[in-house]
Amino acid sequence: MRSARPPDPRRASLIVLAALVGSAALAEGAGLAGAAGLAEGAGLAGAAQGAASAVTDANGQLQSPTLQARFERIAANLRCLVCQNESIADSNAELAADLRRQVREMLVAGKSDQAIYDYMTDRYGDFVRFNPALEPKTLLIWGAPFIMVIAGGLIVYRVARRRARLPLDEESAAS
Amino acid sequence: MIKFLLPAVAFLALVALFVAGLNPKRDIHALPSPLIGKAAPQFALADVLDPARSVGNAAFKGQVYVLNVWGSWCEPCREEHPTLLAIAQTNLVPIIGLDYMDDRTKATSWLQRHGNPYQVVPFDKEGRTAIDWGVYGEPETFLVDRQGRIVFKYISPITQEVWDREFVPRIEAARRGGPS
Repeated sequence: MRSARPPDPRRASLIVLAALVGSAALAEGAGLAGAAGLAEGAGLAGAAQGAASAVTDANGQLQSPTLQARFERIAANLRCLVCQNESIADSNAELAADLRRQVREMLVAGKSDQAIYDYMTDRYGDFVRFNPALEPKTLLIWGAPFIMVIAGGLIVYRVARRRARLPLDEESAAS
Repeated sequence: MIKFLLPAVAFLALVALFVAGLNPKRDIHALPSPLIGKAAPQFALADVLDPARSVGNAAFKGQVYVLNVWGSWCEPCREEHPTLLAIAQTNLVPIIGLDYMDDRTKATSWLQRHGNPYQVVPFDKEGRTAIDWGVYGEPETFLVDRQGRIVFKYISPITQEVWDREFVPRIEAARRGGPS
């Protein structure tokens, strides 16, 4: 039953595809997690360097620690549109400073976190949020890593099963 | 055969995606504005050239107008300036020149040196109006229809070609009343 045919091209390309899809999924997942992590870390550093204004004390902190904590969280979750991979907490761009001021003022005016995020997305689109709301039009962003992992997993599973069914000698001949 | 074709098709689709993504003509910073089709934010600011005068877009209500965001510090604005002057010459639409995060003296001398294509030059020193309009880079140019809705936004310097291709047909459409 030993066959002389060359390695099955179909199987080879399936494995390549599985690897591609799998690594894309991993990268996607890591990207999301990484961006969130970076933004989280940046919050503390960036908040201190905001330009002092009427609503902040000499250190650029909001009077109330609760508001300051909310400010840091929100600023870390908003993308600076000028340097698109930095949060507004992290960025030195003038626009980021303006947006930080806007967030502080809205907080002091008693606006909710949601109202602030809505204000920003109404003007700059979902792209302004590192952590966009889960809604129909952002479903693909949130779903993509899972879809890719599942698709990659299915392909790997099928290839592995087919391999397991092959007689041992064909396996060695084919590989 | 189909099992051989499927990965090939998937691979080609991936290649097409990469080619589209790496297209050098694509501006990776250009974002679709969520404000398209929405009411243009209202503002009233002091004029750069006449601080005693309050200017805003309320005065342009019922007209098709262009709002150009610029600053004397903005190099690409200098680049598009001759085009704006030529557009102003044609008297097709009024142009509001929102001066963003600028210095009044510098802005004034800039307009004197290079010419002033703007009907009014609201001075947005703190950038609040710009944030309201979702501005994140200069120059940005908005087109507002007679109902006061933003119909189009162009990011980067305007050239005559861009003006003829992107703006003129939309201005004509807005004048006819549609598209709504």
